[in-house]
Amino acid sequence: MKQIVITLELPEIEALVKHGDKEAIAKASLDCVKKQINEGKLQVGKESSIEFGLIIDGKSLTFAMDKTLVNDFMDLAMSCATVICCRSSPKQKAVITRLVKSVTGKTTLAIGDGANDVGMLQEADIGVGISGVEGMQAVMASDFAIAQFRFLERLLLVHGHWCYRRISMMICYFFYKNITFGFTLFWFEAYTSFSGQPAYNDWYMSSYNVFFTSLPVIALGVFDQDVSSRLCLKHPSLYQEGVQNLLFNWVLILGWMFNGLLSSIIIFFLTTNSIIGQAFRKDGQVTDYSILGVTMYTCVVWTVNCQMALSINYFTWIQHLFIWGSIALWYIFLVVYGSIPPTLSTTAYKVLVEACAPSILYWLTTLLVVISALLPLLSYRAFQIRFRPMEHDKIQIQRRRSESLERDVAQSRLSESSETRNSSELPEEVRIRINSLKGSSRRKNS
Amino acid sequence: MSETNSDRQRRGDRESAFYLFTQQRLPACKPVLTPPWVITIYFLVGFIFVPVGLFTLRASHSVVEIEERYDIECVPSQFRNDKVSYIQDDSVPKNCSLLFKVDKYMKAPIYIYYQLENYYQNHRRYVRSRSDQQLLHGRNFHGTSYCQPLESSNNRPIVPCGLIAWSLFNDTFTFIRGKALLKVNRTNIAWKSDRDHKFGKNVYPFNFQNGTWIGGGKLNPRIPLSNQEDLIVWMRISALPSFRKLYGRIEEDLDVGDYVVVQLMNDYNTYSFGGKKKLVLSTSNWLGGKNDFLGLAYVFVGSSSLTVAIVFMLLHLRSQR
Repeated sequence: MKQIVITLELPEIEALVKHGDKEAIAKASLDCVKKQINEGKLQVGKESSIEFGLIIDGKSLTFAMDKTLVNDFMDLAMSCATVICCRSSPKQKAVITRLVKSVTGKTTLAIGDGANDVGMLQEADIGVGISGVEGMQAVMASDFAIAQFRFLERLLLVHGHWCYRRISMMICYFFYKNITFGFTLFWFEAYTSFSGQPAYNDWYMSSYNVFFTSLPVIALGVFDQDVSSRLCLKHPSLYQEGVQNLLFNWVLILGWMFNGLLSSIIIFFLTTNSIIGQAFRKDGQVTDYSILGVTMYTCVVWTVNCQMALSINYFTWIQHLFIWGSIALWYIFLVVYGSIPPTLSTTAYKVLVEACAPSILYWLTTLLVVISALLPLLSYRAFQIRFRPMEHDKIQIQRRRSESLERDVAQSRLSESSETRNSSELPEEVRIRINSLKGSSRRKNS
Repeated sequence: MSETNSDRQRRGDRESAFYLFTQQRLPACKPVLTPPWVITIYFLVGFIFVPVGLFTLRASHSVVEIEERYDIECVPSQFRNDKVSYIQDDSVPKNCSLLFKVDKYMKAPIYIYYQLENYYQNHRRYVRSRSDQQLLHGRNFHGTSYCQPLESSNNRPIVPCGLIAWSLFNDTFTFIRGKALLKVNRTNIAWKSDRDHKFGKNVYPFNFQNGTWIGGGKLNPRIPLSNQEDLIVWMRISALPSFRKLYGRIEEDLDVGDYVVVQLMNDYNTYSFGGKKKLVLSTSNWLGGKNDFLGLAYVFVGSSSLTVAIVFMLLHLRSQR
């Protein structure tokens, strides 16, 4: 990396300082800085293949940020790979951050540990304060506080990536589940001559977003990890998913909404055509409004929760409890709500216990509808992971392969006697596999 | 080097459940949708769904169902152009007979349904037009404002109030096979929970169907609501504009080649809004009535799943080479 230094510690300036004429010093310094900036720009323009580092001290910075020079200075700074402003005052730090923000329009992150960094931390989009030797002022002015500078790596690569994935996935999924639910109501309206009669009992609808579909979303938004922290640090290119906005663009958002529309169509039409019309039980009873509502709602709750299970790759006891627990909660709710007097439970009175549960058609319809509604997303994910994997998919597959390889190695070690081989020798085939994997991962990372 | 006590405690802390939770290092299962898994899932779905579909189709085919539309046929030819005035004219006799030919052996009990089409029982204003409290407690309950305009007539409350009760279906059917009358069981056609808990045992119809507009059938004021099974069946709102409701059960078998003559009274007015009336006789089995859709849907989903599995497998193998 080549250096471009802009400084006022030059003999001609120092000579003027000795004379003490403030105006002359200022004018000469301005000209000197202007000259150095132009020289720097020429240098950068000539050799575009190598990287440059710009070094400027606090005194020169005051002149570089003069109205006439600031645009040239910013051009030069933006074309360098690194810029070091040493000996700058707190105000200069803040002004530089503001300039960078306005000139480039990008998101800026500032990190500092002392009271002199407070201006910069507040000016930047994200301020990271380091708590420690220089006190807590930086921490109090920052958005994130860490204990040591080296934790910045984890903050960005691990938590930054996780948060981006969690929030974008959560928003897309939230739209999806409400579109699925809402559109079944809409399709039903076409059959009630658009009179506004909802397909479901009022309490089912009120508790949809509260009881039956809220916990899995929370598990997704708070606990999901598509790639473990160790692998996040090992593959910094994963961070580019956030920079390039690969997980929250219009294509993905509209795709999830379309998935919701498709799910609702599948749920509504398969349910109504399966159970409406003929008797749905051995005793000859036919389905009515309340039974259609319960069947469709059951399918919606199952579909929406299973879509969540299909979209995430990380299952702890929390995810299992929240996802399957929400589905179980629906059945429990039906039983409890159905047992309170009919003046309160209206159409839901004993609907699961008496009408739906003994009907085999109800269970078969639920199975058919849920699997049919899941197949589109499953197909999309399967084809996408196999033929157009994203960065995190590739890392997961690689981890999978190395895990199974380690298992094979451990098994082959166990099956051999300890005297004839020492622990550092591996079977021939295994060594070749490991070398080929290393080679492919090296090729990926370069 | 041996561990000190503090080392051991730190290690213990590090493995405690709370530490694992806060450091987001809980033991986790991390499935990846690799091609073997995808192909397995699709084949599994296919191999489960296709047999279930075929089995369900077979069950549906084993149900025997006979259906006849009668609302046009039963109108005498001189009234065919003005069916509404025919149905509203009480002096015109409304009896009619249908002929059902039994093509397959029908095992008892055979369920009798009346089917209505283009009838929006699920319209919001209609669904609202009832008073569940009045059905349980009778005349003494006064909060029946939802039943408007059929809340009271001649300054006396109507029990049961509302549009749903007022529009009670009142065509009647008798079944004759050969020379003998087939016995039709008209009890136990409503849901038990409705009979026991939604319609009062001490509530009797009062001032019912007494106004200027007749919407449907009349009710016997000496039978309590919990025994008026036709009303209970009718008041169970249907889901879609085309629906069936249970009328009764024939407790005898019908053999192949039997002719069943149905004497019916065509009293109910579906002509004002272009509705249809049909009579259906159907057996039932473990799956219920006759509907091929479920079986066909299972077979379709199962076979498309198998197709996708094969396509995916071929694409996967081809791109691996």
